[in-house]
Order: sequence, then structure tokens, then C-alpha cells
Amino acid sequence: MSWLRDRSAGFWVTVGAGLATLLLPIALNDEQLTVFIFIGLATVVVAGLSLLMGFAGQISLGQGAFYAIGAYTAALLAKDAGLPPLLAMAVATAATAGVAVVVGLPLFRLRGHYLAFATLAFQLIVVSVVGEVRSLTGGDTGLTAIPSLSVGPLAVEGQYRAFVFAYIAWVLAVAVLLLNRNLVRSRPGRALRALATSEAGALAAGVDVGRFKLQVFALSAAYAGLAGGVYAFFVGYIAPGSFPILLSIQFLIMATVGGLGSVSGSVVGAAMVYLLIQVLTRLGTLPGMPLHAPAVFSYAVYGLVLVLILLLLPQGLIPAVQARLGAARAVSAVEASAAEAA
Amino acid sequence: MRLFLQYASSGVATGCTFALVATGFVTIYRVTRVVNFAQGAFAVIGGMTAFTLLGHGLPHFVAEALAVITAGLVGLLVGAVAIGKRGTPPLASLIITLGIGIGAYAALILVFGDQPVSFEGLRGAATIGGVTMPFQFLLVVVVTAATFAALTVFFNRTYMGKALTACSSNPHAARLVGIGITRMGLVSFALGGALGGLAGVLLTPLQPVSFDSDVGLAINGFAAAVFGGILRPATALVGALVLGVAEALVAGYWRASFQSGVALVIMLALMVWQASRRQLLEEGPA
Repeated sequence: MSWLRDRSAGFWVTVGAGLATLLLPIALNDEQLTVFIFIGLATVVVAGLSLLMGFAGQISLGQGAFYAIGAYTAALLAKDAGLPPLLAMAVATAATAGVAVVVGLPLFRLRGHYLAFATLAFQLIVVSVVGEVRSLTGGDTGLTAIPSLSVGPLAVEGQYRAFVFAYIAWVLAVAVLLLNRNLVRSRPGRALRALATSEAGALAAGVDVGRFKLQVFALSAAYAGLAGGVYAFFVGYIAPGSFPILLSIQFLIMATVGGLGSVSGSVVGAAMVYLLIQVLTRLGTLPGMPLHAPAVFSYAVYGLVLVLILLLLPQGLIPAVQARLGAARAVSAVEASAAEAA
Repeated sequence: MRLFLQYASSGVATGCTFALVATGFVTIYRVTRVVNFAQGAFAVIGGMTAFTLLGHGLPHFVAEALAVITAGLVGLLVGAVAIGKRGTPPLASLIITLGIGIGAYAALILVFGDQPVSFEGLRGAATIGGVTMPFQFLLVVVVTAATFAALTVFFNRTYMGKALTACSSNPHAARLVGIGITRMGLVSFALGGALGGLAGVLLTPLQPVSFDSDVGLAINGFAAAVFGGILRPATALVGALVLGVAEALVAGYWRASFQSGVALVIMLALMVWQASRRQLLEEGPA
């Protein structure tokens, strides 16, 4: 068991947080479970976006489009084509990554703000196309009666529906976070980190910059597609209105709050922003509040959080805390060695 | 043919408002290298302020002028937040302006409500060769032309205009000769805000404006600005007119719901084409 002793404090914090997260659904009621599920799904999307922004240095304002593509593909395959839901979800994830490659090939010639606008435009196009192809997608009225997830004859229905979905969402979230963590530490991960520091430097060191960026883009899209598929099966109803531009911006805010490129930041950012919005919506719907109060609250908070984080903690919450802790640890180590020398 | 001219003329009018939004983008980008995502919000603020002031009985022109000034002041505020802190990289500023754009929704709903507004512009219409031209269209075209002429003179002939251009072409040299980069950036934000406000004031009589109209306006304005690499107002004007006419023709002959999609596809194609031409010349962080 010597490997257990060698682990850092961070390892135990992560394991503790993971266990707590997996035990949490037992204590939650259905309404709270829904929030819990949405946070898990947002974590999956944000993990991809954080990787894309933190390592490939590219802004995407179109993750909502991939969420939508995943949701519609999974729903249509399961409902109209009669595929088993799990298979439909897997196909939808792969298809979303495929779309990202096709779209990314031309778009990744763009950088910075051009790419930001291009991905925004991409989402607007996707949503309007979905609204136009009425025969397939039901147009603006949307798709209803999407079957729930099932394995063979066992369907996720009834009393424990939300409970099971909570585990599905969070097992996926944990899997995606582990994948990110291992990816960052692997050989391609080193190339990615080189890319994040200096694109020209990475290029000079023999990293195929264009291919890596495209792959990260496809991976982030696959995450979003996967989460979208689960969303469709859980909610059972999707329409173009389920995927507004604001959804993409919400993912961007979560990634920025958690810290770009930070693995644990994805889940912290997703949870904090989502819970904040929940609390504000509660406040906004209290009796005596004007009808537009929830909207005003959430817009104001989105704006404020984004501006404040970028001005005060540009590297994000988790990296900032880690830097603080790291600095404290370094100081105490120096003091300890100084005491030893004396 | 008459139908074509009818569509085209309305396209020119909306194209002119895109052009004004686009010059706002250009003015701010030239000086600060920040693409201001809140640009559409300036137009909405302009349009809604004019509507409210007119509702309070202010005469035309005064209300519109005050609305443009308000939008300019808001632009100054946005600039102070986005570039006021030294060392904020342009991409961070971009996300900051995006945040301000979203936050502006809250302020707009609180101040003006969440319903679309419109007010009456110039009444009446001229008929030229069987084509009906509302006077408001003509007003939009004339004001836009005058604004572009004034901007050209401003950037090329005045000290302030030259200082603004100097900041963009070489910030270090500009600082060396005593030009305050941040102050010039703020001036450009104020100017960009006023230009956006002007677009909103002219547009609101043509089509109702609501608090979330800014995305469409910003996308169209940015698309137009991209024609000139977000640097040249004159090319942005050409781009805006092409976009406006193309959208009006698509809406007229095909389907209204396709018009924004067509504009977006045109913008994407153009950006990719321009990027592939420029890639070899411009390496490094954009």
C-alpha cells in the first residue's frame, strides 16, 4: 500500500470530493436531483471547452450548437430510427465530433475574435436550420415524446428515474474529467501545453499545431454532443429554443470561472455558476417580484461574473486558489529548511 | 425589375445601418485591437432612448441627438471597464465586452422594459420610376453618407484622428511621441458607442428593436466590418451594402427566415477566404 502513502493532499481532496458527489444523490429529492443532473451535464461540456480554451487557446461561443446536435441526433436516432438509446447516444457523440471536424477544417484558419464570431455564427445557423427542417425536427415546436434511456427491456422510468439519470450524468462527468487529466499528462498533452504557451514554439518543436487544435475542438464537441444526448433522453423534449446563444455563453462563463485548462475547475465552475443562477431564479420568483425579475437577475449576474473574474482573477478561481496554496506551501518548506539549517 | 429595385432599395437602407454598426467596430478595433461584442447593445440603447425621449414629448432631432450622446457615454463606460485596467489582453477584453453585452440586457429590461419598441421616422415616400422610396430610407442613406464623409475627414485631417490612427499602427511609437494610448482607446469607445447609437436611432423606425436585438445587429455589423479586415471604414461600407441588399433579396424572393442565415454564411466564407490569404503574412497571436 506504499502507493497510497505517496499521494499528495490534492489526491485525497479529489477522492473525497468524488465520493461525496457520488453519495449525494441519495440525500436529494427529485427537484434537487434535476439541478444535480444539469450540473453534471454542464461539467461534461465545460470540461471540453476548458480544454479547448486553456490549451488550444481558442474561444468557442458555439458549444451550445454541439449540445444541440448531440441532443437532436440522439433523439432522432432513438425515436424515429428505433436505435437502442445507448447506441443512439454513442452515434450522436461520434457524429458531433465529425461535424466539428468538418466545420473546424475551414474555421480553424481563423483565430481569436474571428473564431469567436465564427462559432457564434455557426450556432445561429445550426439553430435556424433545425427550426427550418420541419419534417425531421418538428421545426420550432420541437421534438416531443423522446424515449427514455434503456438497456434491453430495462427502461429508466418510474420512481427512480431522476436518481438513475443523476448517476449516469455524473459517471460521465467523472469519466470525462479523468480523461482530461490523463490527456493533459500524456504525450499529446505535453504538445498541447506547448501549444498553449507558444504556438510558434510548439510548431518549431515539431508539433502539428493545426491538427492538434482540430482534435481538441472535435473532442470538446464530442463532450458537448454526449451531454446533449443525455439531456434529450432525460428531459424528453427538445426544441430550437432549448439551445439559445445564452447557453453557449453560460458554458463560457463556467469555464472562465473555474479556470481555463483546469480539470477540477470545470466541475467547480459549472456547479458554482449553475447554483448561483438557481438561487437567483428562486429570489426572482418570490411573491412580489416583477415578472421579468428572474431574467434581469440572471443577465446581470452573467455579465457581472464574467467581467469581474476576467478583471480580478483572469486565470480563474481554481488556478488562483492553487497558486495561493502552492505559494504558502513553498514558503513553509523554505522556513522548515531554514530552521533545520539553524 | 421594379420589384427587384424595391427590394434593393430597402436593402440599401438596412445596409446603411449595418455600416454604422460596422464603423463602430472598426473605430474601436483600429485603436485598441479589441473586438467589442457590446457593439450591438449601443444601437439598442440608441433606439430605445430615442423612443423614450420622443414619448416624453421631446421634438425629433433633439431626442435622436440626445440618444446618440447617451450611447456615446455608455460606450465610454464600456471602454473604461474593458481596457481601463492596464495589461488586459485583447482576447480578455473581448470576453469582458461580451459580459457587458449580457449585463446590458438586465439594465435595458429594467429601464425600457422587455417589449420591442419602434417610433415613427420621416413620413411619406417618393416614387421614383415606379419604385416607392419612403423618406426614412433616404434619410438613412444621407445620414450614413454624411457620417462616413465626416469620419474620413476626422481620421485623415484632424490631430485627434491622426493620434487615434497612430495608436493602432504603432502603440509604442505613439506613446513615445506623447499620445495617451488608454485615453485614445476611451475616445474610440465613445465614438464607437455614438456610431452604434446613430445606427439604432435610424434603424428603429424601419424595424422594431428589443433588448436582445443586439446579437443580430452585432453579427451583421461585424460581418460588414470583416470585409475590410475590421480596419477600413470604406470597405466596411461596401460590405454592409452588399449584405443589406443580399438579405433583402433573399427575404423578398425566397424566405424571410433565411436572410440572417445567408448573411452568416457569407460572413464565414469571407473570413475563411481572407484568413487563408493572410495566414502566411501574419503569424503570432491575432
